Amino acid sequence: MSEKESEKNPEISGARALVKVLELEGVDTIFGYPGGANLPILDELRKSTIRHVLPRHEQGGAHMADGYARVAGKTGVCLATSGPGATNLVTGLANAMLDSVPLIAITGQISRSLIGTDAFQEVDCINITMPVTKHNELVFSSQKLVEALKTAFYLANTGRKGPVLLDIPIDILEETYAHDLEISVELKGYNPTIVGNVGQVKRALKILDKAERPLVLFGGGIVSAGAVNVFNQFIRETNIPVVRTLMGTGVVDDNDPLYLGMIGTHGHHHANQAIQKEADVVFVVGTRLGNRALVKNQLFAKNAKIIHLDIDPAQIGKNIETNIPIVGDIKVVLEDMLTRISKKPIRKESAWTGSERKRTKLSTRDGASVMEIIFTQLSSIDLQIHISTDVGRHQMWANHFCTNPKHLPLITSGGLGTMGFGLPAAIGAWFADPQTPVISISGDGSFMMNMQEFVVAVENEIPLTVLIINDHRLSMIRELQRSDFGGRFVSHELGSSVDYVALAKAMGGSGSRITHKEQIVPTIVKSIKSKRPTIIDCDLEKIIKSSHLTIDSVAS
Amino acid sequence: MEEKQIIAIEVEDKPGVLSRISTLFSRRGFNIDSLTVGHTHKEGISRFTIVVKGDEKTLEQIRKQSQKLIHVLTTESLKKEQAVMREFAIVKLKYDEKSSLKINELVDLYGARMLDSTNEVLIVEFSGTEDKINLVFNDLKQFSVLESLRTGKIGMHIGQ
Repeated sequence: MSEKESEKNPEISGARALVKVLELEGVDTIFGYPGGANLPILDELRKSTIRHVLPRHEQGGAHMADGYARVAGKTGVCLATSGPGATNLVTGLANAMLDSVPLIAITGQISRSLIGTDAFQEVDCINITMPVTKHNELVFSSQKLVEALKTAFYLANTGRKGPVLLDIPIDILEETYAHDLEISVELKGYNPTIVGNVGQVKRALKILDKAERPLVLFGGGIVSAGAVNVFNQFIRETNIPVVRTLMGTGVVDDNDPLYLGMIGTHGHHHANQAIQKEADVVFVVGTRLGNRALVKNQLFAKNAKIIHLDIDPAQIGKNIETNIPIVGDIKVVLEDMLTRISKKPIRKESAWTGSERKRTKLSTRDGASVMEIIFTQLSSIDLQIHISTDVGRHQMWANHFCTNPKHLPLITSGGLGTMGFGLPAAIGAWFADPQTPVISISGDGSFMMNMQEFVVAVENEIPLTVLIINDHRLSMIRELQRSDFGGRFVSHELGSSVDYVALAKAMGGSGSRITHKEQIVPTIVKSIKSKRPTIIDCDLEKIIKSSHLTIDSVAS
Repeated sequence: MEEKQIIAIEVEDKPGVLSRISTLFSRRGFNIDSLTVGHTHKEGISRFTIVVKGDEKTLEQIRKQSQKLIHVLTTESLKKEQAVMREFAIVKLKYDEKSSLKINELVDLYGARMLDSTNEVLIVEFSGTEDKINLVFNDLKQFSVLESLRTGKIGMHIGQ
């Protein structure tokens, strides 16, 4: 036997190779649901250092991996079986896609010889998930398995981050092969631009220097790029006022004199005014300018020159004409800009914006303004907490009034707006940072969508507090039916038959109720300190009554 | 009539690439007028020529979104004035003594080729620009056309 042959890779099963690669890639947690097609993987996970978390629905598993990724800054990994397991992942994948979250989903698939025969639990996973993943692949030979895995990890967490799915037939997981775990990945067609074009960067700085009413608009890309510090440095140096999109929480302090507020459909008056009418130069950083931020394309920064910095060239010029496009990694480009500014300072001496601040545009009907009290009180709790929201009215109010830097950035589903995201995402967040308690702010509608995952918190002893903003209805729907459907309310009442306290106890956790505003802080703090998974039923109408507030109070 | 734009996309020949391109176009709301794909002289590399309906801004967005696909190597919008464009057509004609003379004239005029002649049925091959093939089909109306088939366009920029 030649030397080379004796150094040959050992013959191991595909499942073993897969788990080994996951370990080599630094995966410490996997959120996986077993099924016929992926059992070989579960078998290998038994002996692995990787922690396996069992959700109660594959969608829950995907959202857990998503919440994990947002907090850990690492790729989240979820696992499902073929057929219904795979289809149950679709919402989770779409959610990660639209919010640019690095995720890897591994789905078992039926044996290669059975593909295309409508076999038990067979679906065309690749074509179903193609539009909602950054990339996906059906691994068709053992030879390609390790390469596919490494490619997936490379793609998920570079460039514009996103979900990658690998569909693996069970016979590949079972058969043995001399897998080369050291194989290197070469992607000829993938080369994200990191360093911004020098000419464009210079031009951008030039017009910012000349601008009389410059404004910076930032979004979730700042967090994704790990550029929070350098961004804050940049605005300190230049003294340029800033506004944010929904996803830009936890970047700039709410009390920062340069921070004007949030733009968009549910944003602040003053911030929208500044960007739509008043600014003469807008520096857009790390946001894709979605339609909720823009409101109306024609209104957006119509009197301004626009600089757009983003890692994804397809976002620049997609919705809005850009004067100066800069494709690159935000952190790298901002650092470059700071270096240039240190030699040739740009500093706006007087703030051109008035002192009027952050008047909210949110509707205060139906007791909504009680949420200002709830979230302001929550923000007063001086503890490090990861907070997730679900989708709806509470999400918008939480976005405005959860301002404690120890609680930010908010883990929120901005792009897809997925109800049911919050609870599993909070659980995933805890696995990424077990030292920090988690709070899932939810509506009674959203909570019901993935409530089964509460059991995961119980069995893993997670210090999770679910704060249900209970108004017994789908309030965002009610608002839309009021404004767009002439008040023809239909199918939005959720009723009061669910006893959330009893529900929590039935699932092995604790439950409490908030009916007076004085109870808000003590009840939440008690739940956090108990370290037990707790559901708090926060009844809006009861709080209004006991606080003698009027139903349509004016919020700040 | 809506503007038509032409995009050339070079891809790594991996399973599912055609599916990915057409799914991308479909979900972004881009209207494909015609699509051809085939191998090139480079091993493992294929080339798409896709005609879409839309303006230049739309084409640029299409180009950028296509470039994002992992197996796409290069994308290029083709400007008609700076490109050579070709398409093919094969036509099956019934002929008799009367029409055969006129058919021969047509074949000479368009530089076409006779591919087969069996039992009074001819198969003729035409190639050229879209405009030329349109003329061909117009001229063929006077004959008894049994079957016909046009390919999509292929094209490339002139010079380097």
